Amino acid sequence: MTTVAYLYLGAILFVAGALGTVIRANAGGRIIGVELMFAAATLTFAASAVGFRELDGQVAAMVVIVVAIAHAAVGFSLGVGLRGRG
Amino acid sequence: MSLEQVVFALAGAVCIAGAITAATHRDPRVAGAALLITLLSLAVLYAGLAAPAVAAAVILVALFVTAPLVVQLTVPVSRAQTAGGPAVAGAAVLMGTLLLATLAVAIARGEVPVSVSVRPADGYDMAGLRDLLTGRAAAAAGGSVAVLLAAALAARAARRDGSPVP
Repeated sequence: MTTVAYLYLGAILFVAGALGTVIRANAGGRIIGVELMFAAATLTFAASAVGFRELDGQVAAMVVIVVAIAHAAVGFSLGVGLRGRG
Repeated sequence: MSLEQVVFALAGAVCIAGAITAATHRDPRVAGAALLITLLSLAVLYAGLAAPAVAAAVILVALFVTAPLVVQLTVPVSRAQTAGGPAVAGAAVLMGTLLLATLAVAIARGEVPVSVSVRPADGYDMAGLRDLLTGRAAAAAGGSVAVLLAAALAARAARRDGSPVP
């Protein structure tokens, strides 16, 4: 399986996430869309790392995962705060 | 058709279907479940890419970050009782800590193969895959998912009854 196939899959994932971020009206849907875009970026970095036979891409993928965790924590806090105001 | 191509075709199809469902479905519970399925299929793809560390990180993120976030965003809450969110989050953090400790012990005992790959250039490590699926770490991960689902159902039932969430 070539690296290009993984890159195409990452592009499809990114488009789906961007679509969800644009068309969804609620905060939860937009957070899910952004998480999809983070997942697409991670897949692209990991596939590029394999394609170029370097480990740098996997390190970058780990960094993207950590940023996604921070984003999810922000979304979690927003959800708790908004529900608290109810 | 090689094993890597089969894995890519299956996981890629599940990944695309899950992503489109997560992005477009109106029910947030269905969208959240689709997001989790997408992340887990991505973990399979990372294993196919010979990137087991990234795959493990994605699985941990899906179980302990995305799953509590989806539960928080999708479990309905009554206006009279809104203090359940932090309780559910605390339970998720406790369960995540327990599973991480279990995984650390399994890794320390050498029960988690870190060289699993299905790429033909690396050679098929079917014994490693079998160990990963039948080992203690897999049982711990499955148990944690079951406990997380039980906690979500309990929180949902408690909120529906109006009683405080433990």
